[in-house]
Amino acid sequence: MLSRVAETIYWMARYMERTDGMLQVMRTSYISSQDDIKDFSWKQLLNTYGSGLSKDEIIKIEKDTPKVFDYIILDKMNATSAFNNITQARENARAIQDHITKEVWQCLNNYYHFIREPETESQLRNGDPVTAIDLLIQNGLLFTGTIKNTMTRDEGYTFLYLGKFLERAILTVDIIRIKLNEIEPEEFKLSEARELRYLLYSLFGYEIYMKTYKGNFSTSQVLELVLYNNYFPHSVLYSLNQLNKYFERLKPESLPENYEELEFLIGKSLNNVKYSDLEAENLKMVNQFLLQTRKDLIEIGNSFSRYYFGNT
Amino acid sequence: MKEYSLLKSYQEQHNVWDEMFSSSGIRSSYRNFVSAIEDLSVTEMNHKDELAKKLFMSQGITFTVYSSGEGIEKIFPFDIVPRIIENQEWKVIEAGIKQRLKALNIFLKDIYHLQFIIKDGIIPAQLIYSCPYFLREMINVDVPFDIYTHVAGVDLIRDGDGSFYVLEDNLRTPSGVSYMLENRSITYRIFPDLLPKNKVRSVKDYPDLLYKNLLSIANRQISDPTVVLLTPGIYNSAYFEHTTLARLMGIELVEGRDLVVDNHFVYMKTTKGLKKVDVIYRRVDDEFFDPLVFRPDSALGVPGIYYAYRKGNVAIVNAMGNGVADDKAIYTYVPDMIRYYLNEEPILKNVPTYHLSDVDNQQYVFENMSQMVIKKTNESGGYGMLIGNSASEEEMETFKKAIIADPRSFIAQPIISLSSTPCYINGVLQPRRVDLRPFALCGPDGIDIVPGGLTRVALREGSLVVNSSQGGGSKDTWVLD
Repeated sequence: MLSRVAETIYWMARYMERTDGMLQVMRTSYISSQDDIKDFSWKQLLNTYGSGLSKDEIIKIEKDTPKVFDYIILDKMNATSAFNNITQARENARAIQDHITKEVWQCLNNYYHFIREPETESQLRNGDPVTAIDLLIQNGLLFTGTIKNTMTRDEGYTFLYLGKFLERAILTVDIIRIKLNEIEPEEFKLSEARELRYLLYSLFGYEIYMKTYKGNFSTSQVLELVLYNNYFPHSVLYSLNQLNKYFERLKPESLPENYEELEFLIGKSLNNVKYSDLEAENLKMVNQFLLQTRKDLIEIGNSFSRYYFGNT
Repeated sequence: MKEYSLLKSYQEQHNVWDEMFSSSGIRSSYRNFVSAIEDLSVTEMNHKDELAKKLFMSQGITFTVYSSGEGIEKIFPFDIVPRIIENQEWKVIEAGIKQRLKALNIFLKDIYHLQFIIKDGIIPAQLIYSCPYFLREMINVDVPFDIYTHVAGVDLIRDGDGSFYVLEDNLRTPSGVSYMLENRSITYRIFPDLLPKNKVRSVKDYPDLLYKNLLSIANRQISDPTVVLLTPGIYNSAYFEHTTLARLMGIELVEGRDLVVDNHFVYMKTTKGLKKVDVIYRRVDDEFFDPLVFRPDSALGVPGIYYAYRKGNVAIVNAMGNGVADDKAIYTYVPDMIRYYLNEEPILKNVPTYHLSDVDNQQYVFENMSQMVIKKTNESGGYGMLIGNSASEEEMETFKKAIIADPRSFIAQPIISLSSTPCYINGVLQPRRVDLRPFALCGPDGIDIVPGGLTRVALREGSLVVNSSQGGGSKDTWVLD
């Protein structure tokens, strides 16, 4: 397969996964902002999802929810907005139309036209933002399902899933970091910090947590789920295991020396996560672990770019 | 003949050849078709028209117009009434194009090698050397099988007397063949059974023939040559055609950045490392093809590919430097080339052309400007053109000034009226002007022309410009057996 095609399909998946993750975080944060007695600020998320807003600009809009939605979801000038992610993914799909199915293309094309509709915009600005975001998320789910149901299990499919799970692992690590750092130090010792709930909501993990831990809330159990649970599709370990599984499929299609480079990096990150021993109370240690994991994941991305996509 | 309501408003036009009507009624080639649709109601016809549009849209047969940074998908307008050509007529067209391409191919070989045609005084050297598309880099470069014009899309028009004229030879990167294929696939959906009943010859062999020709020019020592199609990318207006052809031939669609040249061999970058490329069907123009040799600011090309080509390590379709034979001033000499190289009389006529560097010609053209078409010698796509009978005084003055400043870059031709065919517009059949672009493939085994081609139609009433960039559409083209 052409390196460019592989890279294009891999990034298409990354953009779409990023959009899904981001929308869910926005949805959860919005709900939490409504149900909050403390002064809610979008600062943290503007820092994460905004591309190059200055401190002053952030201070200006951090409390203005419609403006924040505009900026993070719809703004054409914000390179990392959901709108631009979807537009990019669609451009990528266009460039490799002969490597994806017509259904996948049409589904993504519809999603693109949906986010451009004036109705979506007005619902988000003046109506019920949750409904608007839900509809966007549904489009994303349809896209995921269409891929699963229609695409050939070839090299392109493998690269698509490599992009998806690498992005998901990075997203999960980021959200855990954001939410943990939002917890006030005195709250940390309490059994039920609200941020923990919203962390679970942001990762689509609330229900599975309740089922697994029968309503007992503790930081260490939440971390156990979002980091290590291998049945929870948004946990870091699950994402890394999937990444590893799809990567192994590449073996016959790869140059042995390139394969070894990536095999080493993926194996290392996987085992670093799998055999880590975290004390949930030690926030500094958790933070350090998350930062290291993130660094490893970025390194994996860079190595794909170098060894498989021919970017030097 | 029944009085057919759809045809009621079909007006006869003076001095225009109509493809469907002669003075004595419907031509024999159209009779079957007309009898099949004459009982259809307006609703049924509208339904067919709608269906055709829907099929184009849902199959993504669109081109993208970029405005304010966002892409808008548009369909290339399609008219449901086919253009029909008798077999006898087609035979003349086929023979004429073959003859022309044979001569043009020899001309290109000659002009880039020994230049007998200049030495024998048939074409003035000045005309050749002043052509910006004459590439000195191609002098003494040997191309596989001496073939330069692998793919040509010759533009033909029909004057009031019914005879065909060649307007352009399009020997560089002619496009439109995917519309020939798609238009046919739409026609059998909207007019079931009509194609076999009329004994319309098939055009579906085109991709197979093209692939066979591409394979056959690869180096003989390679058992399984790698053929790729090089596209300028998704922003090119013909990108749809590039993906379609690559898909139909089952070859890789590459962009310039996918290719690298190492030690004068061309490779494509794959996830498994570099893979050697043997044949490139390129849809990138000469000047963008190799930034080391031609335009240094081109990001569409492949650095060093010219040297790989020169060494014979890669075959390129079409050859570089073909633009010299496409120049509208050199076009005038094609009949002379046919006589000179082949010792034959040209089968297809050229449109009479005035070179404006000649003072007498210039004066004559200026005096009769309202009956002339003035064209820039190196432009295509309907740009850089003035049609005398519809131009304003101001436009004429601008052209006059430009011509006096640089007479070599302009030619003038009398206005050829272009034949008309019926088009289904607003519920009735109306005459609109058409041209015809058959696609010819030259390979080591000879020249193949798929029976049919692209009929482009000027959808604006009275317009003579058929280019898609200027409001033109297309029709399916039937060649009867």
